Amino acid sequence: MSRTRTLGRALGALLTLAGLGLAAEAAWMPAKAVLAQILLERAFARSLAEGRAVRPWPSADTEPVARLSFLGHGSIALRGGSGQALAFGPGHLDGTPEPGEPGTAVYAAHRDTHFAGLGGLRPGDAVTVSRRDGRTFRFRVTGARVAHWDASRLDPAAPGRHLALVTCWPLDATAPGGLRLIVDAEMDGEAS
Amino acid sequence: MPKPSPFPSPASPLEPGYGAASALSPLFLAVLALLLTLVSARAMPAPGSGALVLRSEAAVPVEAPRLATDFAVTVSGPTLRTIVTQAFRNTTDRWVEGTYVYPLPEDAAVDAMTMIVGERVIVAGIKERAAARRVYEAARAEGKTAALTEQERPNVFTNAVANIGPGETVVVRIEIQQAVSVSAGIRTLRLPLVVAPRYNPAPPAATLISETGESADPVPDRDRIEPPVLDPARHAPINPVAITVRLDAGFPVGALRSATHPIRVEETGPTARRVTLGEGVVPADRDFELTWEPAPGAEPSLGLFREEIGGETYVLATLNPPTAAAGTRPPRDVTFVIDNSGSMAGDSMRQAKAGLLAGLARLHPEDRVNVIRFDNTWDALFPEPVPASPETLRRAERFVGALEARGGTEMLAPLTAALNDPTPEDRNRLRQIVFLTDGAVGNEAQLFEAIQRGLGRSRLFMVGIGAAPNGHLMRHAAEIGRGSFTAIHTVDQVAERTRALYAKLEEPAATGLRASFTEEGAEVTPDPLPDLYRGEPLTLAARLAKGTGGLTVSGTVDGRPWSRTLSLSEAAPGTGISKVWARARIGEAETGRITGRLTAEAADAAILKLALAHGLTTRLTSLVAVDATPRRAAGTPLAATDLPLNLPAGWDFEKVFGERPSGVSPIRERHAGLTPAVAPAPAREIRLPQTGIGFLPRLWLGLGLALAGLAVGLLSRRARAAR
Repeated sequence: MSRTRTLGRALGALLTLAGLGLAAEAAWMPAKAVLAQILLERAFARSLAEGRAVRPWPSADTEPVARLSFLGHGSIALRGGSGQALAFGPGHLDGTPEPGEPGTAVYAAHRDTHFAGLGGLRPGDAVTVSRRDGRTFRFRVTGARVAHWDASRLDPAAPGRHLALVTCWPLDATAPGGLRLIVDAEMDGEAS
Repeated sequence: MPKPSPFPSPASPLEPGYGAASALSPLFLAVLALLLTLVSARAMPAPGSGALVLRSEAAVPVEAPRLATDFAVTVSGPTLRTIVTQAFRNTTDRWVEGTYVYPLPEDAAVDAMTMIVGERVIVAGIKERAAARRVYEAARAEGKTAALTEQERPNVFTNAVANIGPGETVVVRIEIQQAVSVSAGIRTLRLPLVVAPRYNPAPPAATLISETGESADPVPDRDRIEPPVLDPARHAPINPVAITVRLDAGFPVGALRSATHPIRVEETGPTARRVTLGEGVVPADRDFELTWEPAPGAEPSLGLFREEIGGETYVLATLNPPTAAAGTRPPRDVTFVIDNSGSMAGDSMRQAKAGLLAGLARLHPEDRVNVIRFDNTWDALFPEPVPASPETLRRAERFVGALEARGGTEMLAPLTAALNDPTPEDRNRLRQIVFLTDGAVGNEAQLFEAIQRGLGRSRLFMVGIGAAPNGHLMRHAAEIGRGSFTAIHTVDQVAERTRALYAKLEEPAATGLRASFTEEGAEVTPDPLPDLYRGEPLTLAARLAKGTGGLTVSGTVDGRPWSRTLSLSEAAPGTGISKVWARARIGEAETGRITGRLTAEAADAAILKLALAHGLTTRLTSLVAVDATPRRAAGTPLAATDLPLNLPAGWDFEKVFGERPSGVSPIRERHAGLTPAVAPAPAREIRLPQTGIGFLPRLWLGLGLALAGLAVGLLSRRARAAR
């Protein structure tokens, strides 16, 4: 009898440990998304002060490039749309211009962390972007749409000065999918 | 609102103030940095996390207007003009809009469009892109038949036709001007007929999210636009094509053949031929290629042509620098630069190493070699290139073999080191830089500038590694570096792609080519002239005020100076040279904009000026034609009627439409007035990364498991207690 009991307790302990491990690993993903932003804030503040790219931690293969704010929340965006960058903050997609320059600047972030609030943006809402060179631009949301990831119709060379914020769609889905929510905005002016 | 995420918006804890971070103890920050370091090392793209996923829902062709295409090509000496006639036939009983995406040669200048509706012929005008689209959309809303030709990419165009009545056919004709490409005496005409898979019709990709923010189905009309999946073997997109080439070579024609299609050739004169497809009409499933060469001994001594338009002279010249004797290998100084930053981890690093080792293996003892590796630091194997002795090569191989991917990417310093040339005047050796990277950097502008400044006699060959190399950086770095861009996506491609690259690098090259006119103010394209490998000919176009005097081309061929002078008065007359020149200048302005040599505004202004002056379709200008008579009354249901059509002369409707009685053509269909307008895909569409972590299921699973474990433990305890 005592063998079964020991087995049962061992099994229970094992299950508990495995479960906690899994839960901790899962919880670490959003946690590092939040924690990284603290380091990113510092690195961004330093790059503003020093006028050059500052790597947020030694092994990072990207660096903060802008601060995005909308609906009262701000986050520091990183260069590039790689999985490594997106784990820590919104990514400024390669091949798209700086916000405020002619064309369409595109930022992407995870729907379950940095861009969780993207669905709350309405036409007319303001999005502000502070660049690494210290200039800040105001954009106005013109609309939102859903598109397949490879049919975004986002043209980095489009006439005018645009901004697009992108995250996965639907916002509450948990499995990776092909659809993206794209919030389009156009430049309102430079904030002084 | 979409369902609120149970996880609070991550930014909010930071909102109270920027100061929060600085208030934290340095120890905490150090620990945090360490943790993130560990994590970021593990955060390599895993399937489903950061990596791009392959498209799961295949684009399904929808029932669409049928389309037939006729190519009528006229070759006059060095240039060719192609008239593409596309017939949009609406086989449904509704009013429809058809949009056809089609490829054209990279250097094609689309300069005219005509729409034929019933008996009316409407000639399109060139307008700025947005204005043209407004005209088109207004006409569509008013029930007028209209056609719009837009450039999507330099080699991809769309034709949209609005308000094609039930059973009706609308014909759209576009005209294209090009230079004939010449290589080793062989002239080539290439008509790309196949549209790459991504241009298959997709359901309208965009739709507005309702103002209330309810997460409505993004594609509410999904049922209507997504018919059951068709068997691609039976329903492959077809697009019947007829081709006629009227060739006036300007010299007695020798061999004339097509490697892609059976052709029928009629001799219409000593220098003229008429070529048609042997099978009459073919499906557009492969490109068409036609080659011709002069009869033996009839190679024209001079490839110089001129055209006078608007008081200005346009010149087109083709000449062959002498080639070195076969088997000569010029000695080379090759510097390999390899990226071993964190983003290269995994397959990319293996591909880069394999690519580099393949290059080392091809070096000869008289060559010199160096290897530079970089992440956020960099090392050079030797201070400067050293003779490629077996001993040196072994050292280089060991150096490369030991590389591990980690750290950040600092590309500027190693690039500058590779460009640094202690003997810039040495014309006897080819100086080549082979740069292997995924290009995951953001300071492209700085890199472009460094290349422009430091290039000298060096040539930069970019090798893009990995599934998604930064093509923008690579292509333009290679362009400014006057080399080439080779993309390697998988390990299997390494051997084949690098072999082609390295074989080219070993050939003697004509370098430092310069064209100068006696007349002041000549605008020459390409500028600068490219290096020529493996007997490639030099083709250049120029605009001159008067067109007098001569043209001197000089450079270094196989280590020796070479030059040749042509007199412009000997030039033969040509047609369409101005358009060829303008198209090439537009291409250069686009490159200048992307590489930062020109500001976006300056480049756009230059492109717009050239496009409007020469009537060319570009990224900024489109051709639009509108039939003045409104025909589809708003909301009026119309009975299906078969409108007769007057076809352009020489164009056999039955022959083109008669074959392949049914099928699905690659057309995006929209029902006029029913669905919101969807702009065609832009010139350089951005592909979006995967943006969901999906940690919640794992979190719940983990917590569930832990609870189950506790329950098991408790139960077994209770069982003991009960006894």
